Amino acid sequence: MKILSVAAALAALAISVSAHAADKPELRIGSVVAMTGPASALGLPEKNALELLQEQLANDTSLPFTVKFITYDDGSDPTKAVNNVRKLITEDRAHVVICCTTTPTSMAILETVTQAKVPNVSLALGQSVIEPVKERHWIFKTPSTDQLQVTGLVDDMVKRGIKKVAFLGLEDSFGEGGWIAMQSVAKAKGVEIVASERFSRTDTNFTPQALKVRQSNPGAVYIHAIPPSSALVHQALKRVGYSGPIYHSGGSANNAFISIGKQDVEGALLGTTPVLVYKDLPDSNPLKPVITKFAALYEKRFNVPKVDIFPGQSWDAGNITLKAAEEAVKAGVKLDDLDASRAALRDKIEGVKNFVGVGGIFNYSPTDHLGLDHRSTFISVVKNGEFRLYESK
Amino acid sequence: MSDTILFLLVDGLTNGLVYALLALSLVLVFTVTRVVNIAQGEYVMLGALTLADLLQGRMPGTLYLLIGGLALCAILDVGRWRRDWRQASLYTGGLIVAGIVALALTRGALALHLPVIGMMVVALILVAPLGALIYRFTVHPIPNATTIVFVIISVGVSMSVQGLGLLIWGANPYPVDPIAAGGLMMGPVFIPYQSFAILVTALLAMGGLYLFSEFTLVGKALQASAMNRLGAQFCGIPVNATGALAFLLAAAFSAISGMLLAPLITANYEMGFMVGLKGFVGGAMGGLIDYPLSLVGVMIVGGLESTSAYVASAYRDVLVFSLLIPILLWRNTRSRVEAR
Repeated sequence: MKILSVAAALAALAISVSAHAADKPELRIGSVVAMTGPASALGLPEKNALELLQEQLANDTSLPFTVKFITYDDGSDPTKAVNNVRKLITEDRAHVVICCTTTPTSMAILETVTQAKVPNVSLALGQSVIEPVKERHWIFKTPSTDQLQVTGLVDDMVKRGIKKVAFLGLEDSFGEGGWIAMQSVAKAKGVEIVASERFSRTDTNFTPQALKVRQSNPGAVYIHAIPPSSALVHQALKRVGYSGPIYHSGGSANNAFISIGKQDVEGALLGTTPVLVYKDLPDSNPLKPVITKFAALYEKRFNVPKVDIFPGQSWDAGNITLKAAEEAVKAGVKLDDLDASRAALRDKIEGVKNFVGVGGIFNYSPTDHLGLDHRSTFISVVKNGEFRLYESK
Repeated sequence: MSDTILFLLVDGLTNGLVYALLALSLVLVFTVTRVVNIAQGEYVMLGALTLADLLQGRMPGTLYLLIGGLALCAILDVGRWRRDWRQASLYTGGLIVAGIVALALTRGALALHLPVIGMMVVALILVAPLGALIYRFTVHPIPNATTIVFVIISVGVSMSVQGLGLLIWGANPYPVDPIAAGGLMMGPVFIPYQSFAILVTALLAMGGLYLFSEFTLVGKALQASAMNRLGAQFCGIPVNATGALAFLLAAAFSAISGMLLAPLITANYEMGFMVGLKGFVGGAMGGLIDYPLSLVGVMIVGGLESTSAYVASAYRDVLVFSLLIPILLWRNTRSRVEAR
């Protein structure tokens, strides 16, 4: 009896497979982003970009498969993220998971995707999401890291002959990430950290920290915070008479920074991704046409005046997945075989080379799941109330 | 070095004055209603964000809170219609008129593009009644609850109001124009005019409260219910009305402090809680009942905060809040001596 039913099931399976074989196979990209909750300012644009990608693909028949997008909200909550990723893997049978918006949520799902052997592309800033690479076999990410941006800024300090830097950072996980990056980069580049001061987003006064920094007599100041506090610390430094260069993390690269800091933040230097300054890039830069095209599409579709960095991150994640899937299918991988195709997709993502995205040029490898290097980090300077590309001397 | 000390002193004093308005609100609420109001800081946020909205020409979200609150008041009063429909209709009519007046006032202010001071007054009129509304919803129904119940309720109020703030205004910070832009160089120290504005307004507010409670009948009623609630009730003072008045005045003081603070640090949904707690530490110095001692307390908090941020910035909040321990020990020994 048992044998009979198994045979029947096998036969049914064979019929369904052969019925499908005539069509193109289906690639299922599952994603979980923070559409609500504290991180929704990042998650919503990310969702928008995935929606845009889906619309673009609807008219595209060149791919050897059809694509199905499944997107869930995690409400910026790690527990919800884990539940939704489970659902994507088991119920929706997604080939790839794009998740999640923030570092805490991305850390929470590591175990789930690793055990289920599903490739995951994270949209979080934190380096701990992909390192150590040995333990993060299935995890990749598209946003730049603190380490990379701080390296770009410290390189500029070295070029200017600055030997001493003061660090000012938020006293939360964001500030801590900057502090860790600054310590290791400064050590590697031979720059001395002469002061390290902390503040919080809800502080009412930043002058004492600025005074302490001024007293340590640094050649440059690096502020790792987000507006309003990053702009307010900058103002406090000006108020106590500090006149040297002031560098900021990418966390300040948004319009709030300028609208709060006004003329005080003129000349501020910010580590940033190419999206912010792509218009100033030379035409020879391969990033320029890619970003120009994406920005035009996104700004038209969602009616925003200027695209920011977040939609580009999920756009890149989606496109990298598509590229990997295309190569996998060309190499003969059957998308219907879920386990095998997931593993093959992971290998193909790791094999992505010189992929020009919105966030930079990606070169993944078995030792590097970030894939970005100095070609993808830029320094922007605040000039007449706008972010412009800063040419390193 | 000397200019460093001057900077710290000026900033410590400025912040101390901001906390002073908070401590004043806390003492006022506690003496009249026995509520240790953890949510007091949220009016700072509401004041600042309302002002930011008005200055940028938007309908302030506070207006919806106010009208919603008035509507809820009318609904809670529904039981009275059967017993005494005249009174009830009068009450509901009053609420509707209040809502319309608030709406008209806001519209008018936005149309006229009032200067910063004028907008501050409008914002104050919108925020202060919220204090009375919150009293109506959370304290009025349970007049005989213990202090600890009120503390827990006020924590809930704080969380809800902050959540509403996030819902209405989002997580973005809003820059707010100061009363007067620029500042003054005093020796090596640059002092923004806003700091002077804080000094003047804080002194005016404190003086106003003193005159109000000493020289008006309503103020005296407030004092009487602070001294002896039951006795005041026997003398015919409507203690529920004085409670609501205390909440209203406290909300007004805290909102003023928020509007003064906002040009220095921008307005955002989470700005109030910390300010409220620091005002609380200062108020604890006076046991939440003694105005002058509370003022001494907040000045110590302001000074300690600015020096500790200079000396060891990572531990500045730890140091400020650790101040509570010696303060409470000191109060304890004092009250023992008094008891003897």
